[in-house]
Amino acid sequence: MIAALDVILRLAGWLLLAPLLPGIINRVKAWVAGRRGPPVLQLYYDLARLWRKGVVLSTLVSPGFIAGPAIAWVAVLGAALLLPLGPAGAALGFRGDVLLLIYLLALARFGTTWAALETGSAFEGMGAAREVSYAVLSEAAMIAAVLSLSVHTSSITLTTMLAPAAGAGALLLGAGLFAVLLAENCRVPFDDPNTHLELTMIHEAMVLDHSGPPFAVILHGAAMKLLLFALLLTEAVVPIGELGWLAATGVLAGGVLLVTIGVGLVESLLARLAFRRVPLLLVTAFLLCLFALLVAWRGGAS
Amino acid sequence: MTIGLLLSVSAFCLLTGILLGRRAPGFWLGLTLLAALAALGACGQVLLGGAEWDWRSAFRVGGESVHLRLDAVSAWFLTLLSVVGGAAAVYTRDYWSDHHYPRSAARNRAWWNVLLLTMGSVLVCANGLHFLIAWELFAISGYFLVTLERQDREVRAAGWLYLAASHAGTLCLFAFFTLLAARVGSWDLGPLRDRPELAPLFWLVLAGFGVKAGLFPLHIWLPSAHANAPSHVSAILSGVALKLGIYGIVRFSGWLPVPDAAGWVVIGVGAVTGLLGIAFSLAQNDLKRLLAYSSVENIGIILVGIGGGLLGLTHGDAAWGRLAFAGALLHVWNHGFFKSLLFFSAGSVLHATGTRDMSRLGGLWRAMPWTAALFATGAIAVCALPPLNGFASEWLVYLGLFDAVTSRTAAAAIATPAIILLAVTGALALVSFVKASATVFLGAPRTAIARHAHEAGPWMRGPMLLLAALCVTIGLAPVLVWPLLTRVTGVWHPGWSGAAVESPFLGLGFAPLLIASLIVGVVLLVRRTVRVRGSERQLTWDCGYALPTARMQYTGGSFGGIAAGWFNWILRPYRRLRRPRGFFPAEASLIERVPETVLEHGIQPVGTIILRISTAVRRLQHGHLQYYIAYVVVGLLGLAALVAAGVKP
Repeated sequence: MIAALDVILRLAGWLLLAPLLPGIINRVKAWVAGRRGPPVLQLYYDLARLWRKGVVLSTLVSPGFIAGPAIAWVAVLGAALLLPLGPAGAALGFRGDVLLLIYLLALARFGTTWAALETGSAFEGMGAAREVSYAVLSEAAMIAAVLSLSVHTSSITLTTMLAPAAGAGALLLGAGLFAVLLAENCRVPFDDPNTHLELTMIHEAMVLDHSGPPFAVILHGAAMKLLLFALLLTEAVVPIGELGWLAATGVLAGGVLLVTIGVGLVESLLARLAFRRVPLLLVTAFLLCLFALLVAWRGGAS
Repeated sequence: MTIGLLLSVSAFCLLTGILLGRRAPGFWLGLTLLAALAALGACGQVLLGGAEWDWRSAFRVGGESVHLRLDAVSAWFLTLLSVVGGAAAVYTRDYWSDHHYPRSAARNRAWWNVLLLTMGSVLVCANGLHFLIAWELFAISGYFLVTLERQDREVRAAGWLYLAASHAGTLCLFAFFTLLAARVGSWDLGPLRDRPELAPLFWLVLAGFGVKAGLFPLHIWLPSAHANAPSHVSAILSGVALKLGIYGIVRFSGWLPVPDAAGWVVIGVGAVTGLLGIAFSLAQNDLKRLLAYSSVENIGIILVGIGGGLLGLTHGDAAWGRLAFAGALLHVWNHGFFKSLLFFSAGSVLHATGTRDMSRLGGLWRAMPWTAALFATGAIAVCALPPLNGFASEWLVYLGLFDAVTSRTAAAAIATPAIILLAVTGALALVSFVKASATVFLGAPRTAIARHAHEAGPWMRGPMLLLAALCVTIGLAPVLVWPLLTRVTGVWHPGWSGAAVESPFLGLGFAPLLIASLIVGVVLLVRRTVRVRGSERQLTWDCGYALPTARMQYTGGSFGGIAAGWFNWILRPYRRLRRPRGFFPAEASLIERVPETVLEHGIQPVGTIILRISTAVRRLQHGHLQYYIAYVVVGLLGLAALVAAGVKP
């Protein structure tokens, strides 16, 4: 009973809080640019509106066009439930759960790219191709990050891995994971969530033909993914396990807020990279995580 | 029934099938299925009941008494053989029917049974001599199945390459078995773990069986054979025949002592095989070639697991070795199931359109919804995505490797890069399979043949459904197979049989089931919402183009292009580009082809050099008797000179 209540509370938290993040990012960007900007809750209004709308489907698409986003959404939600929330722990935790988390994110990618390719549009093909290809590099960075946490804590369970954070290599790991966060969540300098109809897009190009409820599912899934990465980054860097209940919750919320503001600042101050540079930056992220792994290795040897 | 009786029933059915099946397809199918079921029954008794069957006959073949044995390791592979062999037999009823292939259908049935029989014999033979004979017969029957349609030049070339590579491997095995027999003093095979002087023989095992399994530089025969063979043959070659190579490595690394470096080498070879296999797969335009290279990748994953097991042994029975090894074993099954499923689906596509060239297909889901859905299932499984079976086995391998890393022994130095390479391989597999499924099944049909495709009949769909069901079952409830896995690992290394390790799948528990049911629920919810809110069909928007054509779609080549570009150093694509020129450009073209690098840039040049040397040497052999006498005289004079100089032999 308690367990069920716990899961329901978590679910509600993830579902309700996630759309807040893009709102905050947009606020930061508006503030830097000296504009008023859209309300923080804009995404909530958008989602509600989209969910009530009808759908325009391409004549070419199969039922997979609708199933793809739904699968991706479930996969991100599943990954979210595996992620421990500081002292509250995870809804579901076991040895090796971190691998399930990474592969669930891959399943989400499978779902969204599949749906993108349903339409037979060249733009969506382009976006999907970039998405899966760059993900190869960000996955390498992710696994290196996971390895460094795992070596540091001698564990492959997220709850124990994230409690004492990355130790001496935290700065390196933080930088690496932040770059991965930007790449995986269609943020500048990898991608620009605001451009439409340009050849330089990744994620936005994939969803050009989506509308109505499936589009709402995609947007909400993307927001949850951003929250997931922000939490992961915070917990990988800040040793939350050593804090009390209240402090830990505060640090978590503060960390997520800080990451979000950071994303907003990066987006306001940096230009998007040329496409051939994207792999370079991702390889840099991978190397940062790899160095964090080396630091963790040295740290344990002493 | 006893195991021996079941196996004899199985062999008897297959033999009768060879003799009578040429004329009566229905009778043949029944017999083959009966044989598969009987073999499954025997395997069930070994794997579930823990029995073991060891039988030595009085009569001799080639001077050696026949010695057969079915233990858990053999039974594990025999189960796979029976499932895929039986399913493919059903599949060929329509796929390779007398109606479509009047010339080769009867041959197909006969050789099919020979293949099953000889593969089964390889698995149960416990005598080196007979093992070699069965191995050779299995290779040859494979050749005849690959070249069923031998009027095609490309098929004959693929067949020759298969035969040549296969015999290069057999040569190593010949050396291995004779050396083993010479040192042990008997052809009998069995556990000889306390003879450390036998350890170096492992390298012969790795090379000999590695050719069959498709390790990276030895994989050359695989893509062309799998692409040109009929699809049910590709399925059994990829799904089972490669695994017989793995069986050899598993079997003899379990029975004989292995060198200390074995674990390192096998993990290294496995990781490289995985990465390069999938890189080659990315660059293919031929659907079946893509699947064949993905088999190379999966063999890499299996080898990483086996290497983990060997490494665990050299580090004193480390528990992580067992996890990685169990993962490799489970991946043997899983890959067998999903790769056969994928080859069957590719066969349906080939059946319906007559082409394997993905750039001529597209939009097939409309005509072939079943095949499209089943291919998607196989694709999710082969990318090792939860909640299907590929994830379960890769997860075990990862778990073993991660434990090796956190154990902070020397093994971590190889386990860490292996984990990173495995992850990259997995991500690349996703690129490759999204590309394959999308180019073939999604979007608009690119040519008329794709527009006029038709769905596969129930006889082809049934086996595909069975294999998909197996993928889903193992994926949702891997807990079920853990007891079988412990039995096999226990037989492979007796030290691992005692203390029962708690099933790692208990932790994973119902997570896959939970995810699967959530997926079903949410998909239904979104679909219902779409239906309630109403939907209309429009042309793909495509940024304002009023008349999008099928040719404007992203192609498979461009989809995989980014990632494949990172591997240009080994792929060495051949590219000829004619750019559009002038104000009213007439035509532009791009020709792109990815060669078989190892074959065309590695082995063929070497072969050419050897051929040139041989041609030069051949001039000495001209048929003039007087010159031959001169050779003898010169030789004798030379020897005399040596003796005169006082050289002692």
